[in-house]
Amino acid sequence: MALQTRRPGEGGSRGPGGPGGAQQGGKKKFFYRRKRVCKFCVEKIEYIDFKDVKTLQQFIPERGKILPRRISGTCALHQRKLQNAIKRARIAALLPFATD
Amino acid sequence: MRTYEVLFILSPQIPEEESTTLIHDFKRVAEGTGAKLTNEEAWGRRRLAYPIQKFTEGNYHLFVFDTDASLSELDRRMRNSDRILRHMIVRTDLDHKRAEKLAKRNPKKERVRPAPAFPTTAPEPAAAPESIPEPPVSE
Repeated sequence: MALQTRRPGEGGSRGPGGPGGAQQGGKKKFFYRRKRVCKFCVEKIEYIDFKDVKTLQQFIPERGKILPRRISGTCALHQRKLQNAIKRARIAALLPFATD
Repeated sequence: MRTYEVLFILSPQIPEEESTTLIHDFKRVAEGTGAKLTNEEAWGRRRLAYPIQKFTEGNYHLFVFDTDASLSELDRRMRNSDRILRHMIVRTDLDHKRAEKLAKRNPKKERVRPAPAFPTTAPEPAAAPESIPEPPVSE
């Protein structure tokens, strides 16, 4: 019987010279995601106009839904105002309620 | 004094002269109740985001009024007019006032750009790949 030096658990997963050692139990952090910032806070837009379709459209994905805060990174205050503006724009037929 | 924005969509079927007289009439109605027109915008024909009364286009028009009285008469007339596909009256002075207050609290300042990073030195050529030792095979 031939003894194999490679044990099944030790595949080629850890490359040589990698920073492996420190992250031994690193199953919790999968990958680092950049912290997103609120677009309206950065650009100091305090009044979100429902007529400003170009700005609102950045928060409307393909389907026509309002982009959630956890994706866009908008702060609570501005998300609330954005939400109102988008809803008003929908009534004025500037933005769709739904698209498919 | 309150500020209202009145946005309405005229039917695309009506001829131009009629739409101008309609717009003029609505303006008169509002001004009759004591409103002062501060801004007016004619957006012209725009595609609607969804069909309204089977129309896919509409003639958008915007009024901005300053008033102490209510615009209910204008609202009623617009609702009853069959030439108007949709209208919306939005009060904006409170939101603008709040926005101004916020802007005062954290004023817009020029963003200081970080100095451009000096060109990074070219990375050293990678070390020669280690020769992989052949696994010792024992009987």
